[in-house]
Amino acid sequence: MLAIKRTRRLDPDPAFAATFRALAPRLPGSADAALARVRAEGFERFAALGIPTRRDEAWKFTDVARIANRPMRPAAPVELPLERVLPYLLGGPRARRLVFVDGRLQPQWSHTGGLPEGVIVESLARAAETRPVALAEALAGLDDGRSFTALNAAFADSGAWIELPAGVVLDAPLQLLFVATGGEPPVMSHPRCILRLGDGASLSLLETHVGLGEGAALGNAVLQLALGPGARLEHDRLELLGPASALLAKLDGSLAAGARYRQTTVVLGGALVRNEHEVRIDGPGVECLLSGVAVPSRGEEADTFVRIHHRAGGSHSDQFFKSVVEAGGHNAFAGKIIVHKGAQKTNAYQKNDNLLLSDDSEVDTKPELEIYADDVKCSHGATCGELDAAALFYLRARGIGAETARALLIHAFAAEVIGRLGDPTARALAEQRLLARLGGGLDPALAASVIGEAA
Amino acid sequence: MLTIENLEVSVEGKPILKGLSLTVEAGRVHAIMGPNGSGKSTLAHVLAGREGYEVTGGSVRFGEEDLLAMEPEERAQAGLFLAMQYPVEIPGVANMYFLRQAINAIRKARGQDEIPAAEFMRKVREQAKLLGIGEELLKRDLNAGFSGGEKKRNEILQMAMLEPRLCILDETDSGLDIDALRTVADGVNRLRSPERAFLVITHYQRLLDYIVPDVVHVMADGRIRRSGGPELARELEERGYEGLLGTRLAA
Ligand SMILES: Nc1ncnc2c1ncn2[C@@H]1O[C@H](COP(=O)(O)OP(=O)(O)OP(=O)(O)O)[C@@H](O)[C@H]1O
Ligand SMILES: [Mg+2]
Repeated sequence: MLAIKRTRRLDPDPAFAATFRALAPRLPGSADAALARVRAEGFERFAALGIPTRRDEAWKFTDVARIANRPMRPAAPVELPLERVLPYLLGGPRARRLVFVDGRLQPQWSHTGGLPEGVIVESLARAAETRPVALAEALAGLDDGRSFTALNAAFADSGAWIELPAGVVLDAPLQLLFVATGGEPPVMSHPRCILRLGDGASLSLLETHVGLGEGAALGNAVLQLALGPGARLEHDRLELLGPASALLAKLDGSLAAGARYRQTTVVLGGALVRNEHEVRIDGPGVECLLSGVAVPSRGEEADTFVRIHHRAGGSHSDQFFKSVVEAGGHNAFAGKIIVHKGAQKTNAYQKNDNLLLSDDSEVDTKPELEIYADDVKCSHGATCGELDAAALFYLRARGIGAETARALLIHAFAAEVIGRLGDPTARALAEQRLLARLGGGLDPALAASVIGEAA
Repeated sequence: MLTIENLEVSVEGKPILKGLSLTVEAGRVHAIMGPNGSGKSTLAHVLAGREGYEVTGGSVRFGEEDLLAMEPEERAQAGLFLAMQYPVEIPGVANMYFLRQAINAIRKARGQDEIPAAEFMRKVREQAKLLGIGEELLKRDLNAGFSGGEKKRNEILQMAMLEPRLCILDETDSGLDIDALRTVADGVNRLRSPERAFLVITHYQRLLDYIVPDVVHVMADGRIRRSGGPELARELEERGYEGLLGTRLAA
């Protein structure tokens, strides 16, 4: 009899080990023994954990091995003309930014000048030189049992070390722009960002992942957030990938008493875009608002995975995720609120609304609550619907063509999340990309001008 | 302008319009009155091209064209406008953005350039003011959270902005207070012109005191049962449908 092993993990493609051996001596901070050791341990951990299959509960809805378990190459330096990245430089004239192309810092487009005293904004490669021990500790400090986090620790090539001391309020946004050019074999990059906000510090962070062209690429990003008491972080994320590119993004956050974290993620494009959030609320008075919208079509998959831990009472969390799925797209959402023992007076909400526009599209949704306290307010809900026929008719009866009417309604659905992006330039780019995706000839400039004039 | 001949329409297999004939000439105002469920809104929807109605017989010509063969947007582009009995709330679509899209879609279909932004703004403000629609309402999402009366005013605003040839008003007066009724009626009267025709569906004589019709039709059970001048509406007010038509109407 043939024994079929129903495995939850696959052995990584041997190319990973070969690439790691070849690359390790050239990775940022390789000269530092502590860092080199953490990287080697990261790789061993990755090899031991393997690549998750859909039998792994956390990867129930999407097949990541299809995309991530194959030979890939680390990027070679590429020269891009400014006009290729110009549309993605966000935050206005006063924004500071770090730009990476295929895992390498692009100093010509990056600048972090004029920061208040004590503020640190460094690329990961720079941090590997200036603070190798702290970086090694940070990398080693996040072991979430997730193989891609371990892989990121091994290969971390881009990303940033960001620290705001207590009380510092940065009034101009900070952008982290990750551009991937594709190719065959696919190019992989492993951004690692470490962001720490001291008591009462405040930052607007624009995180942008962009895929240029049709080629394949894999971004394996990890972001470690720590917000001190009363700190505020406004975090706008745009994920605009090419049809053959994938992004696996893990966010690990801890929020101290009174911290306020608002994140809005807009996914427009990508063969597989997986956003994982694991946030711990460690004190009272925290506000954690996570929103997102994804618009997968034509074989694209978007997968959102959220774990919110209320480890202290008296805090508020809210998840609001939407998707528009059409033409063979697939959206998955799995979100869990965990209210730990003793975390009384917790308010935690979760909502997942999906617009399913064709029969060949697919939506999976799995909202969950795990509550170990008795005096809490929690709710969760999921919906899946089509466009409102009465609304479509209303628009068409006013002379608006069917395709445009449809685009207007889809836009309206998605705009509820896009409108939550804190930065106007991020909002405008998301709008423009969404409208281009929807067709129907909607002109974003028209929306802007009408709104502008009416205001 | 509009010629309806022996129109028969069913909804889910149930006949609603049963051989309705009606001709509306340019420059004229026709009123349609009729008991609840007699098919007035059905007629309005079929004319505007709403899905879910099966035309089982008859024809409708709009100018030279076969109206029933046209898509809803083509009808609007050809100059047909339906002020709906129940305007739809569309959160996420800004009122002004929508209005400008609609105007430009119609202009484009007619081979005209887009309306210049300044002209659009001037016109919208002017019309909104005449209709007692505040700036705040203009900035909101389309009908979202509008009161019943605000929705009806917004319908007339759209009508004024889109400048249709044939205006169908389905109970635009219902849900309006007395002052609003006056404002809306004035709005309609301002649009009266030799090139434009109106089909005004209403239950109440009061509206017809303000918008004086040329012809009044009484509809029952899916057909026009009587037609006459404005005096027919007054007669109806006194005698009721059963008295006027001399028959018991099926509930
Ligand atoms: N979608 C539908 N499904 C089933 N029946 C319908 C539908 N639309 C209309 N009808 C029926 O058709 C008949 C005519 O309805 P219609 O709305 O046209 O009446 P009306 O004359 O406008 O009435 P009112 O004065 O109450 O507005 C009613 O019996 C109604 O129930
Ligand atoms: Mg009706």
